[in-house]
Amino acid sequence: MDKIYEQTMLFDFYGELLTEHQRSVYEDAVYRDMSLGEIAEERGISRQGVHDLIKRCDRILQEYESKLHLVERFAKAKKTVAEIERLTFCTECLEEADGETGQMAGKGADKKSGGMETPQVAGAQKMQTRLQAIRRLSHELLEEL
Amino acid sequence: MAVKIRLRRMGQKKAPFYRIIVADSRSPRDGRFIEEIGTYDPSTDPSTFKINEELAKKWLANGAQPTETVGKLFKAAGIEK
Repeated sequence: MDKIYEQTMLFDFYGELLTEHQRSVYEDAVYRDMSLGEIAEERGISRQGVHDLIKRCDRILQEYESKLHLVERFAKAKKTVAEIERLTFCTECLEEADGETGQMAGKGADKKSGGMETPQVAGAQKMQTRLQAIRRLSHELLEEL
Repeated sequence: MAVKIRLRRMGQKKAPFYRIIVADSRSPRDGRFIEEIGTYDPSTDPSTFKINEELAKKWLANGAQPTETVGKLFKAAGIEK
Protein backbone atom coordinates (compact mmCIF):
# COMPACT_ATOMS: atom_id res chain seq x y z
CA MET A 1 0.00 0.00 0.00
CA ASP A 2 1.32 3.43 -0.89
CA LYS A 3 2.45 5.47 2.08
CA ILE A 4 0.28 8.50 1.42
CA TYR A 5 -2.76 6.26 0.94
CA GLU A 6 -2.07 4.43 4.17
CA GLN A 7 -1.70 7.73 6.02
CA THR A 8 -4.89 9.11 4.49
CA MET A 9 -6.92 6.03 5.38
CA LEU A 10 -5.61 5.94 8.96
CA PHE A 11 -6.36 9.64 9.28
CA ASP A 12 -9.88 9.20 7.86
CA PHE A 13 -10.62 6.57 10.48
CA TYR A 14 -8.79 7.80 13.56
CA GLY A 15 -7.99 11.44 12.81
CA GLU A 16 -10.50 12.74 15.31
CA LEU A 17 -8.55 11.10 18.10
CA LEU A 18 -5.61 13.41 17.48
CA THR A 19 -5.38 16.87 19.00
CA GLU A 20 -6.47 19.81 16.89
CA HIS A 21 -2.89 20.92 16.32
CA GLN A 22 -1.73 17.45 15.31
CA ARG A 23 -4.72 17.14 13.02
CA SER A 24 -4.10 20.37 11.20
CA VAL A 25 -0.40 19.62 10.62
CA TYR A 26 -1.10 16.06 9.53
CA GLU A 27 -3.79 17.26 7.15
CA ASP A 28 -1.38 19.68 5.49
CA ALA A 29 1.07 16.84 5.03
CA VAL A 30 -1.20 14.07 3.72
CA TYR A 31 -4.17 15.89 2.16
CA ARG A 32 -2.23 18.79 0.65
CA ASP A 33 1.14 17.15 0.12
CA MET A 34 2.93 20.09 1.74
CA SER A 35 6.61 19.69 2.55
CA LEU A 36 8.01 19.81 6.07
CA GLY A 37 9.65 23.12 5.26
CA GLU A 38 6.42 24.69 4.06
CA ILE A 39 4.46 23.53 7.09
CA ALA A 40 7.21 24.69 9.45
CA GLU A 41 7.55 28.09 7.87
CA GLU A 42 3.84 28.76 7.96
CA ARG A 43 3.54 27.97 11.64
CA GLY A 44 6.80 29.44 12.75
CA ILE A 45 8.06 26.14 14.13
CA SER A 46 11.16 24.18 13.21
CA ARG A 47 11.30 21.71 10.38
CA GLN A 48 12.49 19.10 12.85
CA GLY A 49 9.48 19.85 15.02
CA VAL A 50 7.10 19.20 12.14
CA HIS A 51 8.96 16.03 11.25
CA ASP A 52 8.71 14.71 14.80
CA LEU A 53 5.06 15.64 15.04
CA ILE A 54 4.16 13.78 11.85
CA LYS A 55 6.17 10.74 12.92
CA ARG A 56 4.43 10.77 16.27
CA CYS A 57 1.02 11.00 14.57
CA ASP A 58 1.95 8.10 12.28
CA ARG A 59 2.79 6.06 15.36
CA ILE A 60 -0.36 7.03 17.24
CA LEU A 61 -2.61 6.22 14.28
CA GLN A 62 -0.87 2.91 13.66
CA GLU A 63 -1.29 2.00 17.28
CA TYR A 64 -5.04 2.56 17.00
CA GLU A 65 -5.09 0.42 13.89
CA SER A 66 -3.15 -2.39 15.54
CA LYS A 67 -5.78 -2.52 18.27
CA LEU A 68 -8.98 -1.78 16.36
CA HIS A 69 -8.17 -2.95 12.80
CA LEU A 70 -10.83 -0.67 11.31
CA VAL A 71 -8.90 0.04 8.12
CA GLU A 72 -8.13 -3.63 7.64
CA ARG A 73 -11.75 -4.61 8.24
CA PHE A 74 -12.93 -1.91 5.90
CA ALA A 75 -10.64 -3.23 3.16
CA LYS A 76 -11.97 -6.76 3.67
CA ALA A 77 -15.58 -5.59 3.65
CA LYS A 78 -14.92 -3.64 0.48
CA LYS A 79 -13.64 -6.77 -1.23
CA THR A 80 -16.63 -8.82 -0.10
CA VAL A 81 -19.07 -6.17 -1.29
CA ALA A 82 -17.32 -6.05 -4.67
CA GLU A 83 -17.70 -9.82 -4.92
CA ILE A 84 -21.40 -9.62 -4.06
CA GLU A 85 -21.81 -6.88 -6.63
CA ARG A 86 -20.12 -8.99 -9.24
CA LEU A 87 -22.49 -11.85 -8.48
CA THR A 88 -25.55 -9.63 -8.86
CA PHE A 89 -24.42 -7.19 -11.51
CA CYS A 90 -23.56 -9.42 -14.39
CA THR A 91 -26.57 -11.66 -13.88
CA GLU A 92 -27.65 -10.87 -17.41
CA CYS A 93 -24.37 -11.58 -19.15
CA LEU A 94 -24.02 -14.76 -17.15
CA GLU A 95 -27.56 -15.71 -18.05
CA GLU A 96 -26.71 -15.28 -21.69
CA ALA A 97 -23.71 -17.52 -21.30
CA ASP A 98 -25.82 -19.94 -19.31
CA GLY A 99 -28.44 -19.81 -22.07
CA GLU A 100 -25.96 -20.81 -24.75
CA THR A 101 -24.52 -23.73 -22.89
CA GLY A 102 -28.05 -24.53 -21.80
CA GLN A 103 -29.17 -24.75 -25.41
CA MET A 104 -26.33 -27.04 -26.29
CA ALA A 105 -27.17 -29.23 -23.38
CA GLY A 106 -30.79 -29.00 -24.49
CA LYS A 107 -29.95 -30.26 -27.95
CA GLY A 108 -28.15 -33.21 -26.49
CA ALA A 109 -31.13 -33.88 -24.29
CA ASP A 110 -33.56 -33.51 -27.22
CA LYS A 111 -32.09 -36.53 -28.89
CA LYS A 112 -32.71 -38.60 -25.85
CA SER A 113 -35.93 -37.39 -24.35
CA GLY A 114 -37.19 -34.55 -26.51
CA GLY A 115 -37.73 -32.52 -23.34
CA MET A 116 -37.16 -28.71 -23.18
CA GLU A 117 -36.82 -28.53 -19.41
CA THR A 118 -33.12 -29.09 -19.12
CA PRO A 119 -31.76 -25.59 -19.83
CA GLN A 120 -34.26 -24.03 -17.47
CA VAL A 121 -33.43 -26.46 -14.73
CA ALA A 122 -29.71 -25.82 -15.26
CA GLY A 123 -30.33 -22.07 -15.16
CA ALA A 124 -32.30 -22.32 -11.97
CA GLN A 125 -29.58 -24.39 -10.40
CA LYS A 126 -26.94 -21.83 -11.33
CA MET A 127 -29.06 -19.07 -9.85
CA GLN A 128 -29.39 -21.10 -6.65
CA THR A 129 -25.62 -21.47 -6.44
CA ARG A 130 -25.14 -17.75 -6.86
CA LEU A 131 -27.75 -16.88 -4.27
CA GLN A 132 -26.04 -19.25 -1.86
CA ALA A 133 -22.72 -17.55 -2.55
CA ILE A 134 -24.26 -14.13 -1.88
CA ARG A 135 -25.79 -15.40 1.35
CA ARG A 136 -22.46 -16.79 2.48
CA LEU A 137 -20.67 -13.53 1.65
CA SER A 138 -23.17 -11.39 3.51
CA HIS A 139 -22.71 -13.56 6.59
CA GLU A 140 -18.96 -13.08 6.27
CA LEU A 141 -19.58 -9.33 6.30
CA LEU A 142 -21.48 -9.60 9.56
CA GLU A 143 -18.86 -11.76 11.20
CA GLU A 144 -16.23 -9.14 10.49
CA LEU A 145 -18.02 -6.60 12.67
CA MET B 1 7.01 33.11 -7.67
CA ALA B 2 7.60 29.50 -6.89
CA VAL B 3 5.32 27.05 -8.60
CA LYS B 4 4.83 23.56 -7.23
CA ILE B 5 3.41 20.36 -8.58
CA ARG B 6 1.68 18.52 -5.78
CA LEU B 7 -1.07 16.12 -4.90
CA ARG B 8 -4.39 17.27 -3.58
CA ARG B 9 -6.70 14.89 -1.85
CA MET B 10 -10.18 14.49 -3.34
CA GLY B 11 -12.93 11.93 -2.93
CA GLN B 12 -15.12 11.00 -0.02
CA LYS B 13 -14.09 9.90 3.42
CA LYS B 14 -12.46 6.45 3.26
CA ALA B 15 -12.41 6.68 -0.56
CA PRO B 16 -9.57 9.01 -1.38
CA PHE B 17 -8.06 9.79 -4.70
CA TYR B 18 -5.70 12.59 -5.59
CA ARG B 19 -5.40 15.24 -8.23
CA ILE B 20 -1.96 16.17 -9.47
CA ILE B 21 -2.05 19.92 -9.64
CA VAL B 22 0.21 22.81 -10.49
CA ALA B 23 -0.16 25.63 -7.99
CA ASP B 24 1.53 28.67 -6.53
CA SER B 25 3.58 27.51 -3.54
CA ARG B 26 1.95 30.18 -1.42
CA SER B 27 -1.61 28.97 -1.89
CA PRO B 28 -1.64 25.36 -0.74
CA ARG B 29 -4.80 25.76 1.27
CA ASP B 30 -7.19 28.10 -0.49
CA GLY B 31 -8.12 25.60 -3.17
CA ARG B 32 -6.83 27.59 -6.10
CA PHE B 33 -4.57 25.96 -8.59
CA ILE B 34 -3.16 26.86 -11.97
CA GLU B 35 -3.73 23.61 -13.77
CA GLU B 36 -4.62 19.98 -13.19
CA ILE B 37 -2.22 17.68 -14.96
CA GLY B 38 -3.36 14.27 -13.79
CA THR B 39 -4.92 12.02 -11.19
CA TYR B 40 -3.68 9.33 -8.85
CA ASP B 41 -5.91 6.60 -7.44
CA PRO B 42 -4.21 4.47 -4.81
CA SER B 43 -7.36 2.58 -3.82
CA THR B 44 -7.16 0.27 -6.82
CA ASP B 45 -4.86 -2.72 -6.64
CA PRO B 46 -2.27 -1.92 -7.94
CA SER B 47 -2.65 1.85 -7.69
CA THR B 48 -3.32 3.70 -10.92
CA PHE B 49 -2.46 7.15 -12.17
CA LYS B 50 -3.05 9.27 -15.21
CA ILE B 51 -0.65 12.02 -16.13
CA ASN B 52 -0.79 14.42 -19.04
CA GLU B 53 2.81 13.98 -20.06
CA GLU B 54 2.94 17.04 -22.28
CA LEU B 55 1.75 19.37 -19.53
CA ALA B 56 3.98 17.74 -16.95
CA LYS B 57 7.04 18.25 -19.14
CA LYS B 58 6.04 21.80 -19.92
CA TRP B 59 5.76 22.69 -16.23
CA LEU B 60 8.99 20.93 -15.30
CA ALA B 61 10.78 22.81 -18.07
CA ASN B 62 9.36 26.03 -16.66
CA GLY B 63 10.90 25.28 -13.30
CA ALA B 64 7.89 23.97 -11.36
CA GLN B 65 8.99 21.89 -8.38
CA PRO B 66 7.29 18.50 -7.95
CA THR B 67 6.89 17.24 -4.37
CA GLU B 68 8.56 14.00 -3.38
CA THR B 69 5.38 11.98 -3.95
CA VAL B 70 4.67 13.55 -7.31
CA GLY B 71 8.31 12.99 -8.25
CA LYS B 72 7.83 9.29 -7.60
CA LEU B 73 4.74 9.21 -9.80
CA PHE B 74 6.58 11.01 -12.57
CA LYS B 75 9.39 8.51 -12.34
CA ALA B 76 6.93 5.62 -12.56
CA ALA B 77 5.39 7.30 -15.61
CA GLY B 78 8.82 7.75 -17.17
CA ILE B 79 8.65 11.55 -17.12
CA GLU B 80 11.96 13.29 -16.62
CA LYS B 81 13.02 16.85 -16.82
